[in-house]
Amino acid sequence: MIRLAIPLWLFWLLAIGGVVTLLGSYERISARQTRINELQTTIPSFEKIGEGLKQIFRPQGLPENPKPPMFWVDMRATLWRLAVGMGVGVAASVFVGVLMGAYRWIEAPLSPIVMFLSKIPPTAMMPIYFALVGTDQKMFTSMVALGIFFSMTQSIYKAVRQDVSDEAINKAYTLGASEIEIIYEVIWKQILPKIIDNVRLQIGPAMVFLLAAEMVVGSAGLGYQIRMQSRILNMSVVYVYLATLAFIGLVAEWALVTLRRKLCPWYVD
Amino acid sequence: MSEFALEIKALSHVFGKFRVLDNINLQVLPGQIVAVVGPSGCGKSTLLKAILGTDPPTQGDIFTDGVPVRGPTRNVGIVYQNYTLYDFLSAEHNVSFGLKLDETSFWMRFFGLPAYMAKRRQHLQKSRNFLEQVGLSDACGKYPREMSGGMKQRVAVAQAFIMRPKIVLLDEPFGALDEAMREDLQLMLLRFYQENLIAKREGRRPEYTILMVTHELNEAIYVADRVIGLSRFHTHGGQGAAIVYDRPCPVFHPDDPRDFSKFVEQREELRKAVFDEKYVKDRDKYVTFWNELGALAAQK
Repeated sequence: MIRLAIPLWLFWLLAIGGVVTLLGSYERISARQTRINELQTTIPSFEKIGEGLKQIFRPQGLPENPKPPMFWVDMRATLWRLAVGMGVGVAASVFVGVLMGAYRWIEAPLSPIVMFLSKIPPTAMMPIYFALVGTDQKMFTSMVALGIFFSMTQSIYKAVRQDVSDEAINKAYTLGASEIEIIYEVIWKQILPKIIDNVRLQIGPAMVFLLAAEMVVGSAGLGYQIRMQSRILNMSVVYVYLATLAFIGLVAEWALVTLRRKLCPWYVD
Repeated sequence: MSEFALEIKALSHVFGKFRVLDNINLQVLPGQIVAVVGPSGCGKSTLLKAILGTDPPTQGDIFTDGVPVRGPTRNVGIVYQNYTLYDFLSAEHNVSFGLKLDETSFWMRFFGLPAYMAKRRQHLQKSRNFLEQVGLSDACGKYPREMSGGMKQRVAVAQAFIMRPKIVLLDEPFGALDEAMREDLQLMLLRFYQENLIAKREGRRPEYTILMVTHELNEAIYVADRVIGLSRFHTHGGQGAAIVYDRPCPVFHPDDPRDFSKFVEQREELRKAVFDEKYVKDRDKYVTFWNELGALAAQK
């Protein structure tokens, strides 16, 4: 029967069992590949992955002039670009989206443009960014910012139109609110959970755009390193980096859900 | 300050070629509770929106306390049928929301924090007092999603009345509630009316002037001291709905037992004048409020 309840202990048993089965299957496939070719590195064993983990945390450069381990260099580069790009993209989309939702005379000229541009995959726009912004740090952050801007603007402007009724706005006028107060005290506060949820949904696409750009033109960053290590088939490092990306996603998800719970205790998902 | 809390002069409203309201004239004194009844689709909501200022009429003028209505302002409060509370505010913050908007500026909230916090403490205390008046002292910290329909409606009423607007519009305020909750809220309005009477005796301007749209004839006569009927069923009905009934009705004390038999005659008269499409009469036949008021004053 659909939605049949199962005991909690069984749920956890099946969950842990699923993960153990996956990891066990991987280890078996790795062992089989190693039996075929002892020098293979495409499906490294967990032991080899452990060595990859040590490698990425080893200081680089000469002992008399050590440089930070490559993991921290790549993490700092990627996270900085992601933070700045998302910060600019989110701020711009909230500003434009709220104004579009609040004022029909702003919505009218912008909505066809936003709708059209939101359909173009941002990775296809990379040559445009290279031409307009160059290939330095600005290119990565503008790729992320513009990549999320159009779809997030659409989501926010729809949230303003759907989640804030005309009656709520008219009532605010009768309570003495000015227009800027309605935008901040009513519209912004009503749609804040949706804004946070949209940010959560945009982290995945933002990472895709950023990693794609790093793979093409980066000289540091998780995407750059994945490309470099893949070329020499050093998959033990690649898998660690992929796990890092998953971990970043999970931490970001948890952080945003916690933030929404703290800022919007009234909201029920 | 004007003699009338609300004054409507020669109001008409047209949607395309369809004339909804025709030459509405109405004066409401401070402290009156006016019930507006009429068949579905006759234009009650259109009239309410015109008074609120969100949908200006195509012809005519509306004044609240002598000030022309050009858009929604704090002179006119509104309580919607679906409450329209702010989900992100608790009950006490919903009720004090208007005080915050009206008595503190946007810049004060960011750059004058100590003064703002002191003001907010006063607002919240006032809000709690009001919630106590409407029987919700235990619900101050609850969010709308945690409240029943009756609780939400009482918060919405407190939210509107705490602002002391010139007039409060109630748009079928109890329509979505069960019978018990309706009765409680009707008694609340009767208690407001008693406060109006006390204010008049003491020479003060009454604080609660209400215009209430309702489908329930019993409710209209029980709660209000004046009933207005809007209808197309008159000799010039093709030109739009007009006020075809405007008479005082008996005033009840909230402690008196509910006895609708006391106004059976008026209810039947109202039903015939406003709802009977076969009864086509001159539109002014039952519009006798001011004459009756004058006669009552002359008797005293």
